[in-house]
Amino acid sequence: MIQIENLKKSFKTEEVETLALNNVNLKVEEGEFVAIMGPSGCGKSTLLNIIGMLDNPNEGYYHFDGQEVGGLKENQRTKIRKGNLGFVFQSFNLIDELTVFENVELPLIYLNMKKSEREQKVRAVLERMKIAHREKHFPQQLSGGQQQRVAIARAVVTNAKLILADEPTGNLDSKNGIEVMNLLTELNQEGTTIVMVTHSDRDSHYAHRVINLFDGQIVTESQNKPFEIGV
Amino acid sequence: MFTNHLKIAWRSILKDKMFTSIKIGGFAIGIMACLLITLFILDELSYDKHYKDADNIYRIGRQGVLNGEDFGGIHMPAPFAATLKAQIPEVEKSGRILVSELHGSGGKEIRPSGSIQNNYEQGFAYIDPEMLEILDFTMLSGDIKNALSTPNSIVITKKKAAKYFPDEEAVGKTLIFDDNTEKPYYIGGVIDDLPKNSHFQFEFLITLKDKEFFYGDQTSWTNHNYHTYVLFRPNTNMNEIEAKLLDIKKTFYVPAFKNRSAEYMEVMSTIKFGMQNIQDIHLRNEVFEDGLNHGDIRFIWLFGAIAGFILLLACINFINLSTAKSANRAKEVGLRKTVGAFRKNLIMQFLIESVLFSIISFVVGIILAWVLLPYFNEIASKDLLLPWGKTWFLPTLLFSSLLIGVIAGLYPSFYLSTFKPIDVLKGSLSIGSKSGRLRSTLVVFQFTTSVVLIIGTLIIGEQMDYIQNKKLGYDKEQVVTIEGTNTLDSKLETFKRELNALTEVNAVTASSYLPITGTTRNNNYFRIENGNAKNEGAGGQIWRVDHEYIKTLGITIKEGRNFAIGKASDSTDAIIINEAMVKQLGLKNPIGKKISNGHSYTIIGVVGDFHFSTLKDKIEPLSLVIGQENKMIALRVDTANMDALLNDVTTIWNKFSPNQTIRYSFLDQKFAKMHEDVKRMGAIFNSFSLFAILVACLGLFALSAFMIEQRNKEISIRMVLGASFQNIYQLLSFDFLKLILISISIAVPIGWYVMNRWLEDFEYSIDIGWEVFAYSGILAIVVAILTISYQSIGAAFINPLKSLRAE
Repeated sequence: MIQIENLKKSFKTEEVETLALNNVNLKVEEGEFVAIMGPSGCGKSTLLNIIGMLDNPNEGYYHFDGQEVGGLKENQRTKIRKGNLGFVFQSFNLIDELTVFENVELPLIYLNMKKSEREQKVRAVLERMKIAHREKHFPQQLSGGQQQRVAIARAVVTNAKLILADEPTGNLDSKNGIEVMNLLTELNQEGTTIVMVTHSDRDSHYAHRVINLFDGQIVTESQNKPFEIGV
Repeated sequence: MFTNHLKIAWRSILKDKMFTSIKIGGFAIGIMACLLITLFILDELSYDKHYKDADNIYRIGRQGVLNGEDFGGIHMPAPFAATLKAQIPEVEKSGRILVSELHGSGGKEIRPSGSIQNNYEQGFAYIDPEMLEILDFTMLSGDIKNALSTPNSIVITKKKAAKYFPDEEAVGKTLIFDDNTEKPYYIGGVIDDLPKNSHFQFEFLITLKDKEFFYGDQTSWTNHNYHTYVLFRPNTNMNEIEAKLLDIKKTFYVPAFKNRSAEYMEVMSTIKFGMQNIQDIHLRNEVFEDGLNHGDIRFIWLFGAIAGFILLLACINFINLSTAKSANRAKEVGLRKTVGAFRKNLIMQFLIESVLFSIISFVVGIILAWVLLPYFNEIASKDLLLPWGKTWFLPTLLFSSLLIGVIAGLYPSFYLSTFKPIDVLKGSLSIGSKSGRLRSTLVVFQFTTSVVLIIGTLIIGEQMDYIQNKKLGYDKEQVVTIEGTNTLDSKLETFKRELNALTEVNAVTASSYLPITGTTRNNNYFRIENGNAKNEGAGGQIWRVDHEYIKTLGITIKEGRNFAIGKASDSTDAIIINEAMVKQLGLKNPIGKKISNGHSYTIIGVVGDFHFSTLKDKIEPLSLVIGQENKMIALRVDTANMDALLNDVTTIWNKFSPNQTIRYSFLDQKFAKMHEDVKRMGAIFNSFSLFAILVACLGLFALSAFMIEQRNKEISIRMVLGASFQNIYQLLSFDFLKLILISISIAVPIGWYVMNRWLEDFEYSIDIGWEVFAYSGILAIVVAILTISYQSIGAAFINPLKSLRAE
């Protein structure tokens, strides 16, 4: 599903150029659950943003579903993102002015789906995330765990093939964190590909494969053996 | 998607109440101001548009040069109108109107025959029967062709017909004027009331048919008393008409003056006849002096500009606040893009939001306008209404609200929709600061406009004070005038004596001439007898007064003496002239010199110049002679209890004239009324300046709130490092102060230039001193400081830990 070759990304300020990703090669198959780990500033989130087509690389290739997407313009990237990709963030990133229902409905609106169909889909996913009883509430009225469930609902409501999760449990207590990880695992078992950035060893256990980044490069890659990697 | 956009727009409107009220409040004030000014302008522009043939109706006037100065008037010789019709085939109809009080126009005491109670009415004029057709009057009763065709017939308005002949047919009835029962007037027709938006404001139109005011009046080309109107045939070439008017001048007009001096004929040679379309009379009457109360096209432009500026200021607020608050929207933009929104979706969303703002503001603005309209009408002395009945009104409002919503929302929409999700999500976007320079520019623009308006307001106020308090050359305080005294006839002298006997009355004079516009005026031409042939002489007033006139009005005698009661020759040959006439005639030692206007007078005194017209006009030459013209009596009084005195005066009046209600007024009030137009324009200007400043301040208030919010972290760090309250306050205020100072330096030259142009209109005006600019600048700074202090002080008291922790 994802094929990345010799990917480079740097950020320039007035005087300094920082290399965030250096020669990254990565392949993710459909149905995989991949965790990306590494210390702060190693380029995890940058990689996730490029995979999520929120950002473009400076060099290298990024094939998504067989299509080169690395050099696309914003509008073209949006077109591919729509319906295919779902995002889950550490800080939930719900729109404060919209209710739970409306937040989840948003991606469907941009897919120009009919109202009745939207309602049906949103209700179903809210049921599934066990948050249906709060559909009329605004994000600030919910606990962190509930907000993250709404964010996951929003990510999967379009039947996204790929979910990108950026430290999804980072702002949650352990109980809520485990709940969120269980949800992601469930989705993965149903066929959704998941790429997750995390600091948490516990969370990385849920993944099939763990990739370790250091100073913008993949240093190790392991199958289900997260604890053996010490960086 | 649309409902989603509306929903989120509505919620963000509700979310930040302060910003929302400032955005909507500023917008609504702008719309209210625009709406009121537009109604005012539309009304001013609608004058004399209602005639069927408005495009072909012209008023004829004279222009020329006298003593190096342009003069222009619309008083034409009596035979002029008929000559136009006879000589120019393009003239379909021509007619005259006589409004001179000297001939009995203006006001009269009237009553229907058979009744004894006199009523004072104004709005009398003499007109040719053809005028009814030229001006296309709606006849409610009577026949337009015959209503004025017999001598002593009169046409009255519906309002007056209903007043004097309620529930009866007025046509065929007779009216008695000024107690003259020997000469009743027959009502030949009733016309619909004349619209208020017409320069033509009369109630009683007396026929000129077979009328002769003095011997030879109707055939004289040398007397100028008649306003002349012409209805041209459709598609007349006006350039050709000008040539034909020149022919008429050569053939009929100039020869009538053949015995005059060479100097006089030189003035004659400068005279030409000009035409003025009836629709231009109200607003574009720069050339022809006609004594009417005019609008001024320059004020229309000025007010239009102010309305535009206020709306612009409101739009700027909207743009400034929208982009400033973009930090709050950036996350939303980023997320929407992340879940699949294209930029065009977002632009559409923000436009919908700004249109929603605009529509709400329009609703609030219209309500504000509706509430303020009665006050505005009072200031502007109009009867404006919101034209709900007009088919164009609602669609125009709706379209304007959409248009303004889009215009104000365009920049913010494009700006907000540029945010990249990656920047927003990474938090690396220094939102709102990017457009800082634009915002500063817009704030400078707003304050420049405000300071110019403050300068204008101060200068208009100063000029008004100057007018009210200028030494006029006479004393307008404590003078009571009684009007309509001409009906007292032979009882006048006894009446005057009885008034004089009141202890509070110091002097009494009877004269139709007062130094107030609207009282009788005339125009004469004086030459020095046996004088230097090179002197052009002087055009000037000759006022018939009595012996007490100078004393009553407090006019100063500079040289010579007042009229003496015992001297019989004073009543026939003596003349007192003003300094302007002395100068104009070039007299060195005026006393004892003889001057003539056809009748020879000896100058016995010179009075100091006194203003007898508005201060827009220069003091012209004027002379006083003893004569009987006594429509008015003026009393110089000295009392603290005016009511008691007026009671006494009324009692005496009722004894002399039981069938006529006393009409009195005060000279100082009449003087103030003379300058009401300036005062009115000043008041309108002031109110709208205030609105503009208010809108600008609202914007500054919200903007300072935002800028301080943005600098919370910086403030906290400075406080942790030991900055005092004062340091923080200065830091925050200085940035804004800089902008205000820039605005002031731009505004001062603009204000100086514009207001100098305005003052040029006055013959007597203030000099603009530096103080005006200093005050304007200080005022702007104070207002700005007060506005931002609320925010700055709040910021300087914040708990630094709070904002640092949030980081």
